[in-house]
Amino acid sequence: MKILVCIKQVPDMESKFKIAGDGKWYDSADLVFRMNEYDEYAVEQAVRLKEQVGSADVTVLSIGGDRVKETMKKALAMGCDRGVHIADNQAWAKDPMVIAGIIAEYAGPESFSCIFTGMQSQDRGSAQTGVLLAEMLGLPCVTTIVDFSYSDGRFTVKRELEGGIKALVNVQGPAVFTCQLGLNTPRYPTLPNIMKAKKKELQSLPVEHLQKIALHQKTERLFFPEKKSGGLVLEGDAADLADRLITILKQKTAVLA
Amino acid sequence: MNFELTEEQNLIRDMVREFAEAEVAPTAALRDEEERFDRALMFDRLAELGLTGIVFPEEYGGAGADYLSYAIAVEELSRVCASTGVTLSAHLSLCANPIYLFGSEEQKRQFLVPLAQGEKLGAFGLTEPSAGSDAGGTKTTAVKDGNEWILNGTKIFITNAGDAETYVVLARTDKEALKHYGISAFIVEKGTPGFSFGKKEKKMGIRSSPTMELVFENCRIPRGQMLGEEGQGFKIAMKTLDGGRIGIASQALGIAQGALEAAVNYAKDRKQFDTPIARFQGVQFQLADMATQIEAARLLVYSSAYKAGNGLSYSQASAMAKLMASETAMRVSTQAVQILGGYGYTREFPVERMMRDAKITEIYEGTSEVQRLVIGTALTR
Repeated sequence: MKILVCIKQVPDMESKFKIAGDGKWYDSADLVFRMNEYDEYAVEQAVRLKEQVGSADVTVLSIGGDRVKETMKKALAMGCDRGVHIADNQAWAKDPMVIAGIIAEYAGPESFSCIFTGMQSQDRGSAQTGVLLAEMLGLPCVTTIVDFSYSDGRFTVKRELEGGIKALVNVQGPAVFTCQLGLNTPRYPTLPNIMKAKKKELQSLPVEHLQKIALHQKTERLFFPEKKSGGLVLEGDAADLADRLITILKQKTAVLA
Repeated sequence: MNFELTEEQNLIRDMVREFAEAEVAPTAALRDEEERFDRALMFDRLAELGLTGIVFPEEYGGAGADYLSYAIAVEELSRVCASTGVTLSAHLSLCANPIYLFGSEEQKRQFLVPLAQGEKLGAFGLTEPSAGSDAGGTKTTAVKDGNEWILNGTKIFITNAGDAETYVVLARTDKEALKHYGISAFIVEKGTPGFSFGKKEKKMGIRSSPTMELVFENCRIPRGQMLGEEGQGFKIAMKTLDGGRIGIASQALGIAQGALEAAVNYAKDRKQFDTPIARFQGVQFQLADMATQIEAARLLVYSSAYKAGNGLSYSQASAMAKLMASETAMRVSTQAVQILGGYGYTREFPVERMMRDAKITEIYEGTSEVQRLVIGTALTR
């Protein structure tokens, strides 16, 4: 069984962010980078599936500059068998359609039985890449999974809905799953596995051969939320308050037309 | 010189730090208060993560990683719990390592493998009531009787004692020989008739690490459990302590780092005179001095670990590292209590525990005075 898990390297969200000089993204200097938290659950689930099936192979894929290889090493140390690094220093500027296109171009010929991604990335938060990838590969996709099981070519997963409700979905493989936090408990890479990761194959492919889709989105500006003035306290009787509130909502916000 | 950690060393640091913060830190204060050793957490979990035999080759059950990785692991554990740091350090450097360096193949198979794999916990019995810095003053005796050695005597201040299964013990085999020439090393297992434990010490710090007496009363061990050659014991002990020094230096470094971070975080939040105290130059100067001293100590510790792992002579380097790191830990943790003020003096905050923990690093595995002797003698030879 061939399994693919797609991960993204993101800054530690506790970092102090600064806007980059051109105002279009955050400045990556002086930041500590780590695996996107949602992707940790994806990697753990991929390794668990491999352990269940026995004869399975897990490929971890990531797009970015050389720096992302550090994060890929962690995935290898958690139990992935090989790494595919798509070398692209401009990955940060690419929208999900382009990213999914690059992954699809690589994954198409590989015929993976199961593909895991995180539900969304912690920096961009589009939550689209996994879904678009599935579309491009012509595969079914279940997003936001909080439970996963596999038996005989069929996957049974639970996806998280609003209000604490979960949907039980049964799907014939091959399929794509995007993983929500809490799907499992990601393992620590043990020391022997960290040492073994050194010897695992990690190939770098230039992005030029894989990018067939042009940018669909362009980030115009990235900025911190403007500080608003304090709240407004309305006093008076209920009927009067209601009228005043409706006027404010109409005039000051986009809540009412 | 390459001052960067390798990818593996970074991964190891991240893993141990995550584990330490998630699993060890939450109970550190309580275990200190209760003077309770939690073997499942402080040793068995380390075994599961592959930390109990970090530096030994895979053929002996180790992880085949380098000395710097070991130093990093002890530092990260000690950053949240100095007791957990010393549990690993005493186990690996003082018990497993001499068996690795001086044991026969048979002894390595029988004793080193379970230690490296974390099935058994190790300890080291050198210190006696009248033999501390003067290790040559060992009075515990080992007398040959046919195919056995009979041990008699008492060891004190032994880390991991009581819980450990395997002990490397130093005893006098030749009463006539001059001081340190008549001492030999032995491997003794818990449960051997005639080997029991005396009192558990009530300590100022590292209270979650058990420190006990070893009592030998006509304790018979097989001849095959002498470690190294007869009369080689003192040399084995000194070589063992050279390596143990790096472990304790790493422990001290971790304590200092934990104390610094606690002080910085507090100073950023605590307001007096309408200002976070971190904005006052007086406090900034103190924090700057603490951070600089820690960084200097770190470089000494890492370079001595590098030397030890690469077959270079490291006796002087490890003495310098232990001396610098332990005195830095004492200074930094004391200053951290000062910065946290009244709150720092209470057990609600971790810095008073770090200060109590730091003190022993200036004493055990060679006092600061002994480290100065090692360095001074090497300089003036």
